[in-house]
Amino acid sequence: MADVQDTIRERAAALLSSGEVSAVIGWGAGRFDDVRFPLVVKRAEDAGKLVFDASCVQMTAKRLLEHTGEGKVALVARGCESRAVNRFIADHQLTRDQVYVIGVPCPGMVDPATGETLKRCAECQVRNPVVHDELVGDPVPEPKPYRFAEVDRVEAMSREERRAFFDEMYGKCIRCYACRNACPCCTCRECFVEQDKVGWQGKAFNVNEARYYGMIRAFHTGDRCIECGECERACPMGLPLMVIMHQQVRDIDKLFGPYEGGGLTDSGPDPLRTYKTDDIEEFM
Amino acid sequence: MPRDNEQTGEFTPKILAFCCNWCTYAGADLAGLNRMNYPADVKVLRVPCSGRVNPQYVLKALQSGCDGVLVCGCHPGDCHYSTGNYYAKRRMMIFKRMVEFAGLSPERFQIRWISGSEAGKFRDTVVEVSEQIRALGPMENDAPSRAAIDAVAGTVASPEADEELFAAAKEAI
Repeated sequence: MADVQDTIRERAAALLSSGEVSAVIGWGAGRFDDVRFPLVVKRAEDAGKLVFDASCVQMTAKRLLEHTGEGKVALVARGCESRAVNRFIADHQLTRDQVYVIGVPCPGMVDPATGETLKRCAECQVRNPVVHDELVGDPVPEPKPYRFAEVDRVEAMSREERRAFFDEMYGKCIRCYACRNACPCCTCRECFVEQDKVGWQGKAFNVNEARYYGMIRAFHTGDRCIECGECERACPMGLPLMVIMHQQVRDIDKLFGPYEGGGLTDSGPDPLRTYKTDDIEEFM
Repeated sequence: MPRDNEQTGEFTPKILAFCCNWCTYAGADLAGLNRMNYPADVKVLRVPCSGRVNPQYVLKALQSGCDGVLVCGCHPGDCHYSTGNYYAKRRMMIFKRMVEFAGLSPERFQIRWISGSEAGKFRDTVVEVSEQIRALGPMENDAPSRAAIDAVAGTVASPEADEELFAAAKEAI
């Protein structure tokens, strides 16, 4: 990946010095060898600080929204970031001409804590960027692994066991809202959990309020999820948040045709924001 | 929460019914005009359209003391606003599957299409749902048993991490 990193640095320097973009968003070195941080480079001489290797676990796409209005911004985008760009465009957060996508095919990232492939990378469906202005490196093969194993496991349980599973999961939730802040689908200026005066989300710290937050957030993003798994990676409690997203994705896929919300395109109505008169009927 | 009938000691559930103004509410009204009998467990909440029912209302109702929620609207194709119930249908299909996946008894959240002339269907639905929820008992009965809790314990958040901690704790001893 070293030559990819060199090319990214060269291209970033060229784009910045030509004035085509005002900033390049990528990753920079952290304090330790295996720690990387999202890095926003604004001067050509800083382009050498950009890093790309197997430790770039964060998804940087959401940083784009912090730099809208500063002119065109370049984003070093793997499969997941490129789908997030499509998501932003579909959600009217960005226009395509506001972002310059430097596509990087991604072989999968490594969890620094365990040394194994990140769970979300092991489940990744789209490793090559689906949208890009230029591509750095050669496309990688797309193995399309089965991603519903955890859903199958939970679905096979009895109702009480499933309830216990989610009780334990939401019982551990500290409601830091890291999943929401990391999520490329969560772009509301005012989230329902912060509408204090409306008051749907209670302030008490208990499993019911955490369940309310978790399930409603999951449902708000359910038909738009790009399955990047960033919520799960960002969760400080290590909760399996993707299980409920994957469950919805699979149901939407089964009931309303192929699931296109995964950011493969930047248009098309989201499944729960449209309807067909011949949808299956189960509520007679 | 004293929810047992004072005379009989029998459990009386609280069921919240979201009724669309144009069909189901009129159907409920017609049931009343025809002097049909149905259990008083159902509290009718009039909404402009079934598309108005945000799924979060359902979860909030169940968490705030309701034992069941019924969402009713016009039959698909008959919506006063032409399309509201089509959106509601998709939304509720996915939301119902999600809350059931998360361990809610399926009977506690039901969706029906009842038109303004279907007073009998309204009564039958209310009787049916009420009986189902009486059989299930209060919402607290949905809580998992000890055996179920033990069965999933440690499988939720990174079992490896739990094991490591456990191993480290054993070594420390």
